[in-house]
Amino acid sequence: MSADPARSELDDAILDWMREPDWDYDEARFEALAQETFRYQYNHCEVYKRFCDGRGRVPGRVESWREIPAVPTGAFKETELRSFPPERTVHRFQTSGTSTAVRGTLYLDSLKLYEASLLPSFRRFVFPELESPGDRAAIRVLAPSSREFPESSLSHMFQIALAELGASGSGFDVESGELLVDRILTNLVESAASESPIALCGTAFSFVHLIDHLSQRGVMIGLPPASRVMETGGFKGQSREMPRAELYSEIKRVLGVSAERIVNQYGMTELGSQFYDSVLHAPTEPRRKLGPPWARVVIIDPETGHESVTGQVGTICVFDLANSGSIAAIETGDLGRAVLDGFEVIGREPGAEARGCSIAADELLGRDST
Amino acid sequence: MNAHDVAERLESIRAAGSRLRRRTRRERVETLGQVLDGWADPSSRWRQALLAELPGPTGFSTPMVRSGLAAGLDHWTADALAELALSDLGDDCLSESPTHPVSSFESTAVVLAGSIPMPTLLSLIAPLVLGSPVIAKSAARDRVTPALVAGSIAEVDAELGRCIAIVDFARTDEASLRVLLDASCVCATGSDGTIASLQASVRPSRRVLFDGHRLSVAAIGDELASSAIEETAKRLAMDICLWDQLGCLSPVVVYAVGTSESGSSEAAEVLTDRLSDALAAALESAESEMPRGAIEPVGARDIVRERSEAELRSAAGHNVKVIASDSTVWTVVRESGPELRPAPLHRFIRVAPVASTRALAEALAPMASHLAAVAVDGFGERTPTVCRELAALGASRICRPGAMQSPPIAWHHAGRGVLSSQARFTDIEC
Repeated sequence: MSADPARSELDDAILDWMREPDWDYDEARFEALAQETFRYQYNHCEVYKRFCDGRGRVPGRVESWREIPAVPTGAFKETELRSFPPERTVHRFQTSGTSTAVRGTLYLDSLKLYEASLLPSFRRFVFPELESPGDRAAIRVLAPSSREFPESSLSHMFQIALAELGASGSGFDVESGELLVDRILTNLVESAASESPIALCGTAFSFVHLIDHLSQRGVMIGLPPASRVMETGGFKGQSREMPRAELYSEIKRVLGVSAERIVNQYGMTELGSQFYDSVLHAPTEPRRKLGPPWARVVIIDPETGHESVTGQVGTICVFDLANSGSIAAIETGDLGRAVLDGFEVIGREPGAEARGCSIAADELLGRDST
Repeated sequence: MNAHDVAERLESIRAAGSRLRRRTRRERVETLGQVLDGWADPSSRWRQALLAELPGPTGFSTPMVRSGLAAGLDHWTADALAELALSDLGDDCLSESPTHPVSSFESTAVVLAGSIPMPTLLSLIAPLVLGSPVIAKSAARDRVTPALVAGSIAEVDAELGRCIAIVDFARTDEASLRVLLDASCVCATGSDGTIASLQASVRPSRRVLFDGHRLSVAAIGDELASSAIEETAKRLAMDICLWDQLGCLSPVVVYAVGTSESGSSEAAEVLTDRLSDALAAALESAESEMPRGAIEPVGARDIVRERSEAELRSAAGHNVKVIASDSTVWTVVRESGPELRPAPLHRFIRVAPVASTRALAEALAPMASHLAAVAVDGFGERTPTVCRELAALGASRICRPGAMQSPPIAWHHAGRGVLSSQARFTDIEC
């Protein structure tokens, strides 16, 4: 934990919230902690301070956490955004990307908040039926372990989730960059034969890869009804894209897991908390992204810079108290719209035609413009 | 429209094509010249119809479309077309028996893209000049221009009008696409992804002219007189504002180039500051005269993101400055260096210093394969040398600021001849 008493006090207050068994979306509590976090980060991250000064939005002069200046995720590629001295860095997570592309880096002086935040959300939205602390489930992860990829926040998240929630036989099924199809197949067949539900978690593209392999072998498996899939991420840098509806249809066809039991996770390296589809947590309600009480989303109309009206598409900005060591207000660059008490992410339509003939800049730079 | 409909249209133009080829090239050039003269006339009913109908589906503002059509079409006349034929196909190409016979393909398919009318007009006329009937798939963003061009041709010459067919089908309709690509010459413009997908679908025996998306830049040398900066900025602002910067001839970066022997960057830095301020004033002024059109959320998101990232670079101590409208209608980012960065378009321009022409070449190298035009000014006597260097990099057009959106009809887009690239030449050696 931080040696700075003010920071320790702030982190303790946030940790207390994360450890409460019942979630309370108390707006006043969030507002107070958000303002305190803003004040701390403004005073301890010089770059962020100048950024906020430039916008004329400084602590004491913003009425709501919604007005706290959000930094774009791209800034993590060029600037070391941390609210602690560099020598206190204990871990760094890096965004995915090709070997030649510049990758964003999240610097951490403690993993406590990060880890405390991820577990309750994962349990609530992916395993809502695991009510008691000792309850566990069979989980296979279509991603490398954090031992193999220590800089991957996703691998780290899965490592923690497996340690806390994984039953015997859970584990990772990507090693040395290779999807271990035979091992996955063995586990899937066993699950089906024993009628023991299984959870498959991984990147969206790893599922495409798995489905391709199983389809080539002519394999179709009917996993037990309580099985589930958790997929995350896009198709950045991958050889092909698959619309989410098609992916879910293929998962249903090959694995027998229906869309109602497929949870998309919305997260990113720059955030300590994650958001999940509501389908397992609130199965009778419209699908939307929900998150923990200590991480809030506001949809900003890019034309006005103000909060979008409900249903209007805008930029997804997140204020995440789990980011106390870096910057809590993040402009994700993704488009979304508010839905009930959550939000949905609006993806780019694959192959959508451009209005002009000037090359899309992101295309030239090999960036993901989704 | 389905594959059967596309096949019928293709068969129909093929049948009309034999009559087209029986005409002399001179006749075809003269007839299509009349069509162009109509489009060059701001009061013609076709031009008026385009002005009325294009803003709706494309989101462009009417004043901008009016200015864009004037810049692009006013000099595309019958005379310009005749000169193009002579320069591209040979001095005697309009004679009864040219030295090098030039023949056309039996049919030409054009896959249109974007929402800027001039490339569409030329794409439809060029095959007809050569004697090849043309079938064109409309771009999703502009179904107006192809229909109007086809109508204008039919009005001038009904038989010629039967040699052009406009088809429209979903981009996921692979069956219709396969039929379309059965034409013996296939021309297409689109993103690298679209082009790659089309390439995989065309049979090897076809003449293929595919153009991916491109971009343009401006290079302003520090020999530009102080008194000329404002005027140059106004001209560049026009280049940026026309077609809301969405065309391949729209500059996305203005490089302020130091030209001293020592390669000192001081002059470039000063010029960068002055150009940035002048461009901001010019873009603000242009907005009142020809407002930027509607923008989709993804476009606005990109602009806001790039502004924010520039603000962060500034906060991190880089010599970066964001000068922008309150909304997203125009943005100038004064950059600290020439690193290649995203171009959100929609009137978002970066101004970057480079210490020397050598540094300019290094800055342009990563985008060389996508480079279309470069606007050049302020290099004094070194201008011819700079132009040659830019040509060697891959630019297919070098012009003055303010002229970027007015390419001559004979511009070698992608470095190729407009007509010769779609023609079949024969060398007779006996």
